[in-house]
Order: sequence, then C-alpha cells, then structure tokens
Amino acid sequence: MSRGILGLLPRAAVVLTGTALATFALLWNAPGDPALAIALARYDTVASDDVVDHVQVETDLDAGFLTAFTAWSGPLLIGDFGRSSVTGRAVWPELIDAISYTVPLAFAGLAIGLATSVPLAAIATRAPGRWMDRIAVALASFGAAIPAYWLGLLLILLFALHLAWLPAMGARTAVHILLPALTPGLGVAASLTWFIRSGIREARGQPFLPAFRRRGVSNRAIGRDHVAPHAAIPVVTVLGPEMAFLLEGAVMVEVIFARPGLGSFLVAAITARDFPKVQAVVLLAALLFVVVNLLIDVVYRLTDPRIGERDA
Amino acid sequence: MTLSVSGLTAVRSGRTIPHPTSLEIAPRARIGLVGASGSGKSTLGHALIDDLRAHGRSVAHVPQRPDEALDPLRSMAFHWTEAARALGSPPNADQRKRLFAALKIDGGDLRKRPWGWSRGMQQQFVIAMALIGIPDLIVLDEPTSALDPVVAAQTMDLLDSHLAATETVMLLITHDLGLAARRVLNLTVMDAGRVVEASPTADLLDRPQTGAAQSLSAHRSWLALLCGRSKAFRSDAAKARRWRTSGCR
Repeated sequence: MSRGILGLLPRAAVVLTGTALATFALLWNAPGDPALAIALARYDTVASDDVVDHVQVETDLDAGFLTAFTAWSGPLLIGDFGRSSVTGRAVWPELIDAISYTVPLAFAGLAIGLATSVPLAAIATRAPGRWMDRIAVALASFGAAIPAYWLGLLLILLFALHLAWLPAMGARTAVHILLPALTPGLGVAASLTWFIRSGIREARGQPFLPAFRRRGVSNRAIGRDHVAPHAAIPVVTVLGPEMAFLLEGAVMVEVIFARPGLGSFLVAAITARDFPKVQAVVLLAALLFVVVNLLIDVVYRLTDPRIGERDA
Repeated sequence: MTLSVSGLTAVRSGRTIPHPTSLEIAPRARIGLVGASGSGKSTLGHALIDDLRAHGRSVAHVPQRPDEALDPLRSMAFHWTEAARALGSPPNADQRKRLFAALKIDGGDLRKRPWGWSRGMQQQFVIAMALIGIPDLIVLDEPTSALDPVVAAQTMDLLDSHLAATETVMLLITHDLGLAARRVLNLTVMDAGRVVEASPTADLLDRPQTGAAQSLSAHRSWLALLCGRSKAFRSDAAKARRWRTSGCR
C-alpha cells in the first residue's frame, strides 16, 4: 500500500510545478502596469515616472520571464515565499496568519456538513421513498441550490441583526466562526446528504447481505459493520472536492463577514497588485488540495484495500 | 428430530413459489433439490431457511458463489467471529481449527480479506462457517459451481464425512443431476414453482415420472452418469451408442 501512495507523489509534484508556472505566467501577462500600481499603493499619491522606474527595477519586474520565474520559484523549494512587492515584508508570516484563520473555518464548515448530513441521510434511508426521505431529499436540493453569498447575508440578517444571537463581523472570539462556517457548511451538508443517502442505498443492495441475515447477524450489526463501510467509500471520494469548495468559498465568506484569512488576504493582494502574495496564495491552495487529496487517497485505500491492489 | 414445514410460499425478486409446499425431512437425510433454472429451487431453499429459523431451528446456508457470502471489505477472521457471535457462541479457535482441518483449509491468512484467498478456498471457508453451529439443516445452493471439478469433488467428500458424525440434514440445490446422483439419496424435482416429484435418487434417474424430471435426466451431466451409472441409459439405446462412440472410459 505504501508503494501505491509513494507513486502518487510525482503526480503531486507535477500538479504543484504546473500551478506555479501557470500562476506566474498569468500574472506576468496581466494587463496594467504592476510597477505603477505598486508605486501608488506604496506612496499613496500620484507617482512620478522616476519612482515607477525605481519600483520596476527593485521588484525585478524589468527582468525577463524566465529570470523572474527562477528568482521566485528557486527559494520556494526551501519554503521561502519571497517578499511583498508593496510593503517589502516577507510574505510567509502574513500568509501563516491568514491560514490560521481559514483552515479552522474550512474544517468547521466540513464538521457542520458531516454533523448535519450523516444523521439526515441515516434517517432518510430508514424508510426509502417515505416522507422523511422525501423531506431529506428536498432539503438537500434546496441547500445545494442556495448560493453561499446569499445564504451568508440571510444568516447575518437573521442571527446577527434580527435576533442578535451571534456576531457577524470579524474573528475576535471562537463564536465568530459560527456564521461564516455555517454559510458554506450548509451547502456541503446538502451535497454530502445526497452522497451518503445514495451510498447507503447502494450498499444495502450488495449481493452478500442476505447471506449475513441468514447467518443470524442482527440488522444493527449489518448496518454498522457492512453497510456503513461500503457507503463510506463514495463519501470519502467526494470529501476532496468538498474541501476544495470550502477553501474556494472562504474567499467570498471572509469578505462578507469581514473576517481575516486567505480570502481577504488574496483580495487585498490582488487589489494592491502584490503579485508575490497572490502567487503564494494560489500555490498554497494548490498545495492544500494536493495534501487533502493525498490524505483522502490514504483513507480510501484503508477503507477499501482493493483499490491499492488493483493499482499495483 | 424430523424437520417439517408446511404451506411454504414465497415471492422473491421475480421468482415465485406460488404453490404452498410442505416438506418432511428425516434426520441425517441427504436430499437433492433439482430443477431447471428459474424453477424456484433457490427460492424454496430460502423460504425453508427462513421458516425453520422462525421456528427456532438452526439452519445454515451456503450460497452459490462466495461473493454472495463474504463482504470484500472485511477480513476472514471478522467473518468467522461474526458468524460465531450470531450463533451466540464465543469464537472458539479450537473449533475453527477442527473445521478447517475437516475441510482441508490450510495456508489461508485469516487477516486477509476474501479476495486475498482463491475462490475455492473462499467457498470452503463459507462451508466451514456454515458448520460452526452444528446446524439442523445445511442448505447448499449450487455449492460447487464456482470450484473446479477436482476441488469440488474433494470439498463434497470432506463435507460428507464431516456431516456423517452429526444429525445435520443436507439439502443440495443443483441443476447438475450428475452431482446430485453421487451425493444424495433422495431427489426432489421442482418445475415452475412447485414440487412435482420426489423419490429415491436411483428410482428417479431410472424412471422419471414427470416431464420435468424426464427432461432433466435427458440433459443431465451425461459423461459422469453414463460412465458411472449406465443403467439409466439402457432404455435409450441410441443415446448410449452415441456416447460409446464418443469414447467414454
């Protein structure tokens, strides 16, 4: 099994290199003069041509593409994300700070998603086709159809303004995470409910289950030991895309809830044309995807070792 | 203790036994349930198991293929423990070793999952598992169709000799009359969801009464029968001649 996982590492390296190259190329060719934007961001006034030229030289913007790319990507290998072209400070500490807000948010969203969808799917599949099942399906369709930004605003209106139960803005206390996590979390709950529900229904149709019943194994034990593991396989597969959805969603959610984090960091960096920061965020997001998917692959192989065997 | 069921009916996945069926089975009996595909053999077998279990008898079932008996995500050890627990007995390593020895299962790693074993070994494991609780009845549904002929015969021999020491009744469901002829003393023929004929094996093979039994014995595993039991074919000289010319040794 470990050999199968090691085999995934070159793929991860290709994805990361590709992302780095593509991001750098896109930003290099972005319209507008980054030097001018940086000068404006730094000095907050109309900058003279001299100043703009100075910025251009200082930030390596006058170098060729390949020179600039190697100058940026070389230090990356040792975890150095370079310096902000606007403030001149190292990107890494600020990036870590942003991550420390966004990763808990994403996991809180995932936790909300799982905590809602697992019981809902379990209740729904108790009597397939009956009214509880239909309600669960309706809720799941509804949840999947609502755009996160709209739900976020609705949640602010209801819980923060109208009821005044929960804080909406910032990230001062742990409670501040609730509304921002609920916003994408409910969307995740909706889609996970779908997957878990169909996973359970499919697992119940496994051809070996009648034999277990005839052997005298209780329905409870069959559900726990045979249906649940089979139902978990498709669910584990979609956890990767769900995690991706949560990290993408963080950009919007953090802006709506005025929360620090990767999303706010990215939006601020784009507005200031602070390319090293933008590149750092994109690369980090790619790294997170790769790591999350690698972890899921490991979990996947542990749940269903047939997969590793077939690969080998 | 005689096993008796009456008024069995079942409708399952399109196959039905719409005609209430009653059976009386003596202890230690070896019965073959034969019939064409779709005649309701398996359905009757399942109905029999469910009915007897509902009346508190211990019944074991060996499905046709090991994939219908084993969860690919669970280890063999898990299956064994679970089956023992379901019978209310704590898993007993000595008993397992005895049954494994009886069925000549060796070299299989119990920590592996079913697909880590050969299909023949899997099926033998399933049969061994069915014998944990010393059942009143063991229903074998085409038990050897997944096995190669040598392993199949060996498995049936081992099972026979193991069962000889018990009161267990064996019901062998098959469409292979050749297999049934060698393994059971009584045959029950099914056709279109009803039991149409039941008689000692030799009688049924020699003088099939009903159309279903006649067509089964005409399409039975000829080679095995002609070589081992040519008497059945004397009435049909043309067929026998054809076989003789094709070189039955």
